[in-house]
Amino acid sequence: MSDIFPKWTNRLPGQILVGALLVGSAVIGGVWYYATPKYTRVGYQPIQPVSFSHATHAGQLGIDCRYCHSAVEKSWYSNIPSSSTCMNCHNQVLKDDPRLALVRESASTGKPIPWVQVHKVPDYVYFNHSVHVTRGISCVECHGSIDKMDEVSHAKPLSMAFCLDCHRDPAAKIRPPDKITDLNWKWSEDPVKNAELQKQHGAQFVHDWKVESLQSCSACHR
Amino acid sequence: MKTIPPPCPEPESGPQYWRSLEQLSDSPQFRQWVEREFPHGAGEMSDPHSRRHFMRIMAASFLLAGAGGMGSGCRRPEEKILPFGKAPENYIHGVPQYFATSRPSRGTAFPLVARSNDGRPTKVEGNAQFPGQAGGTDVYTQASILDLYDPDRSLKVTQAGNTRKREAGIDFLAELARKGQSSLGAGIAFLSDRSSSPSRHRLQSEILAKWPAARWFEHEAVDFEVHREAARAAFGPDPSGATGMRPVVSPVYRLEKASRIVTLDADILGSEEESARLIQGYAHGRRLEKPTDPLSRLYAVESLMTLTGGNADHRLRVVPSLVPAIAARLAQEVLRVTGALGEAVSPLSGVAGPASAHEKWIVECAKDLAAHKGSSLVVAGYRQPLAVHLMAHAINAALGAVGTTLELRPLMAPASGSLPELAALLNRGQVDTLVILNDNPVYSAPADLDWASTQRKAKTVVRLGFYQDETGLAADWHFPATHYLESWSDGRTADGTLVPVQPLIAPLFDGVMELEFLARLAGLPVTSAYEIVRTTFKAQSLAGDPEQAWKKFLHDGYLEGSAPKPVAASFKVSALVSSLASLTPPAPASAEKLEVVFFRDSRVDDGRQNNNGWLQELPDPVTKMVWENVVLLSQKTADDLKLQIVDREDNNLRVPWVRVILAGRNVEGPAWIQPGMADHTVGLALGYGRGKAGRVGQNTGYNAYKIRPAGSLHRAAGAQVQFLENLHPLSTTQNHWAMEGRPIVREANLEQFKERPDFAKGMNMHEPPGLRGKDGQLEPLYQNPLDIPGPDGKSPRDRATHAWGMSIDLNTCVGCSACMIACQGENNIPIVGKNQVSRNREMHWIRLDRYYAGEVADPQMILQPMLCQHCESAPCENVCPVNATVHDEEGLNVMAYNRCVGTRYCSNNCPYKVRRFNYVDYNRRPLHLLAGPFYTTPLLHSTDGEWDLIRWWKNPDRGIRPDDEWELLKLVKNPDVTVRMRGVMEKCTFCVQRIEQAKIAQKVKAGPQGNIEVPDGTIKTACEQACPSGAIVFGNMKDPNSRVSKLKAQQRDYTVLEFLATKPRITYLAKIRNPNPAMPDYAKSPGSFKEWEGMGNKLGHHGAAHGTPGGYAADKKGAH
Repeated sequence: MSDIFPKWTNRLPGQILVGALLVGSAVIGGVWYYATPKYTRVGYQPIQPVSFSHATHAGQLGIDCRYCHSAVEKSWYSNIPSSSTCMNCHNQVLKDDPRLALVRESASTGKPIPWVQVHKVPDYVYFNHSVHVTRGISCVECHGSIDKMDEVSHAKPLSMAFCLDCHRDPAAKIRPPDKITDLNWKWSEDPVKNAELQKQHGAQFVHDWKVESLQSCSACHR
Repeated sequence: MKTIPPPCPEPESGPQYWRSLEQLSDSPQFRQWVEREFPHGAGEMSDPHSRRHFMRIMAASFLLAGAGGMGSGCRRPEEKILPFGKAPENYIHGVPQYFATSRPSRGTAFPLVARSNDGRPTKVEGNAQFPGQAGGTDVYTQASILDLYDPDRSLKVTQAGNTRKREAGIDFLAELARKGQSSLGAGIAFLSDRSSSPSRHRLQSEILAKWPAARWFEHEAVDFEVHREAARAAFGPDPSGATGMRPVVSPVYRLEKASRIVTLDADILGSEEESARLIQGYAHGRRLEKPTDPLSRLYAVESLMTLTGGNADHRLRVVPSLVPAIAARLAQEVLRVTGALGEAVSPLSGVAGPASAHEKWIVECAKDLAAHKGSSLVVAGYRQPLAVHLMAHAINAALGAVGTTLELRPLMAPASGSLPELAALLNRGQVDTLVILNDNPVYSAPADLDWASTQRKAKTVVRLGFYQDETGLAADWHFPATHYLESWSDGRTADGTLVPVQPLIAPLFDGVMELEFLARLAGLPVTSAYEIVRTTFKAQSLAGDPEQAWKKFLHDGYLEGSAPKPVAASFKVSALVSSLASLTPPAPASAEKLEVVFFRDSRVDDGRQNNNGWLQELPDPVTKMVWENVVLLSQKTADDLKLQIVDREDNNLRVPWVRVILAGRNVEGPAWIQPGMADHTVGLALGYGRGKAGRVGQNTGYNAYKIRPAGSLHRAAGAQVQFLENLHPLSTTQNHWAMEGRPIVREANLEQFKERPDFAKGMNMHEPPGLRGKDGQLEPLYQNPLDIPGPDGKSPRDRATHAWGMSIDLNTCVGCSACMIACQGENNIPIVGKNQVSRNREMHWIRLDRYYAGEVADPQMILQPMLCQHCESAPCENVCPVNATVHDEEGLNVMAYNRCVGTRYCSNNCPYKVRRFNYVDYNRRPLHLLAGPFYTTPLLHSTDGEWDLIRWWKNPDRGIRPDDEWELLKLVKNPDVTVRMRGVMEKCTFCVQRIEQAKIAQKVKAGPQGNIEVPDGTIKTACEQACPSGAIVFGNMKDPNSRVSKLKAQQRDYTVLEFLATKPRITYLAKIRNPNPAMPDYAKSPGSFKEWEGMGNKLGHHGAAHGTPGGYAADKKGAH
């Protein structure tokens, strides 16, 4: 046999095995990291048809989230405001600004503005906004610091693991119901103290409000 | 501790309950067939395409799909959100809205509440606020929502088959109006369906006043007007000579007040008008908590096997022509015992003669009725002639039923001619223009009128119809009618209450509302249907602000106090005597001279809902046949005709193809032996074999109208049945999932119940040894997931706020099947087609099991809704390799569709056989493929002129469905329920979407507080909400005061297959029959009970050592 295969081929099986292991690990590692929403979703920032800035409206001007997203406490769906909502202010403010041309046109003709969807869970997930925001979960937990974004970007992965992290320990996130839309609110500026207070009050809220934070399939999948 | 799997107890001798003739005959082939989990070939491809061919095509498909997938699968689709430019008031996206409306049907309208999801109606329910109605609907109403989205409905105005613009049609109507005005209506005839709408009646009168020479005719293929006509003849005023309106009397049968009910060929629990209301009343009398509670008794005289007969305590099986004689003899006897209406006795004796064979039955029945004077009721059916109705009313009058169990509501109906009168007019050439509203006479007119050619004798035929059907095709101008959920109209319920017909959506196509059509055609000044209805409403003299009254009317869905006051009238013997003269004595039926019964089908009505897939696939509650009608015969008739009925070949049920000949006309169909049919009677269901239906209804069943005589619409004598050689494959759900003779349905007579109130719990099979642990409790085979403690030491059972459970009362369930259609609509359940049903692949999450007990000739019928039992120790969960079916802490056995890989192990291990598998992508299959083949390749076909592969690539959701189907049928889907795809197992979820919505609503309401428990009665599952009898109750078992807890605490409560210790969350309340000991057919115990005893079983005692305790709290104790 040595006529056919040179000596170095004796080491080949081992090399192949090691090589396969390395490549296999790299593939698994790659998929693990790159094929999850943490990588594929976070940071997604499409350009919207109207350059609406949350940083200006929610951050600088301090308009409450619910002024525009008015159905968030009533429906599973947090509505994108109609163009006429924009015009409530903009028929006074910046009323001839060219950046608002599309809004003015939409409000007068009724033709919708085609906003690009940023946050989306799959169709088989029945996420409900109303039950979260009325029971102490702030917008910031899923959407990030929207009040600092000029163009909205996808801040959190919104994967099933992300949901379950919170559902397994709601006390770490739950806050007083009047602070839901105050995205910068903290128990304390001191991070250590804040964590301590959050844990203490969170557990109290979970107990008092009978927060179920369901982890069974039927909570989200129907 | 390890438990040994319990062996199934073998029946010792013969079957206990039988569900089909095959099972009764217990043939070896049948045994082999039922013992297989899925019958031979159910999981296999048996198409012309071979397995290898399939693989070849699939491989090629995958290759191409893979290449395309590189581009399509990996890209992130960019989706747009399109908010309103200007938001409408009171609309929140994602929150369904509810509107009160009503469904007009023949001479009545049924009050409804319709759900609108983001602007599209998706579900209708009975209006529970309507006085005297607890909600609940019938199958026709439940399924009517699908008609709205039928891609085969009439879309455009057509002239001689060519599409015209709507405006052109409107111009044509205006021209007609001008012509009519100049001739004052001469030569114009209207043919309409029956209607209860005051607005339509008003327009009719206005038109006839304007055009005095015009004539109006009404036709219904299945007509319930005989009820109103008979009540008028018996109690009401004489028809006045004035033209226009005629007085009628609407008899409102108050079954809830009746303790003794006799039906004379009246299927009050099935095919009679407004059966949902009648079932509700009947169920009221059958509901009982304790043995001492009053229980009504039902006597049924009938020739077909119907739900009414199946639920009756005493059933008399007679040929239809004998019913008048029985009515006469019964009337005689009741009049004699009560001493009322003496002058009617002797005229009756001329008719009563042939009833002598059933003398004792009738006499004892009459005695029982007379003993319950004031609380008994006799109802005659629509198939019986006026004389039988009058005899029934004579009995009612003698029994003092008028004003108690029988309310007489005087109404006005338009005076109209009949179809034969119109035919005569046409034949004389006196009709120039024929206007047909809704009715489909070319299909449904009696055969001897030869309507298709008769109709052509009019110069112009104008038609308004929902479908471009037989009549639409034969008309010169066809106008598409709007669905009732697209229309403004009004109507009157059976008791005369005014109800609105309110649209939930603008007409989807070029539809014209009936009122608008009439107004334009007659050139009336107001043509808006809305304005017409409002004008009619104004005529109601109402106190207060008319605008507020109108708003309240639309909000409530009825006008309070608008029903006419019931009249207390005396019976007119003269009317009875004169009607008796019209009866001819029956000739005895024989195998050579059979009697024929034409009846309203339990699914497609008289044919109007023939193109409705939900109804086509709904098994008939008695025959369990789908997708067609059969020629019903009794066993004896079949024997006399030497018909060998059942043959099974290649897993297909095959029956003889027969020809039914009546008066020189014939129709061919498949023969079927129906246990309990009257001998020498042929039952022919109307509504199938349409000449022009849609993609769903085409080629289903035979057309019984082809031999229907004009003189006698519902029964005829002298028919022959000829056997033709070929065998016809039938699809039935009857033999599927037979449960091999265990006490699945438990029942007893009232006397037995009084003796042993806990009989249902003691009615067990011989229990195999080794099922019980040391404490004497049944040991579950699988660990109960609700008892496994979590990290906090608390079990899910203790942690959960609710424990969902259901109780089904078999005493009030009559088997109407409304639950099945409601479930189908609520849960996006697809239809699969006849071919797939024959492979046991129907998808209904809830089914109605129908068992028989006793003789084949005249058996007792037992019905049981069967759905996922939500076992706590669920066998299905333990065998799932991917954890796709698991428990939630509130006791729901949930399916995570995305995890399911389709092993079907769960279905294999389910003792109740309630899991359904998507063998094919039913939701994406075009309707024309319902007939097969069920695998097609996207490589070789194109749809709408586009290669299927391209289509699929463009929109994988739509798949290969044609655009019209896809765009319409997706609108009927409930957005809160996932639409399942191929390869996924599914089953009843307890309407988890409704549960979660209610829980969320309660939590939102609670806010930062702890009152998150959903109040009892807030959640109604779809089946519960549709159930007219209130047999299904869902609720929280953790609350001892909830309705479901109280029902489960009753002594009749039992668990199906209890010895398996699966701890189902659904329990049943045993059925109690109430036979009369004096009757000749009295038996001490029900047939099924006797058969159970016959197997050597004895009533055991339940308690600590035996059986499952009733309530949830007790259950919990037992499990620890």
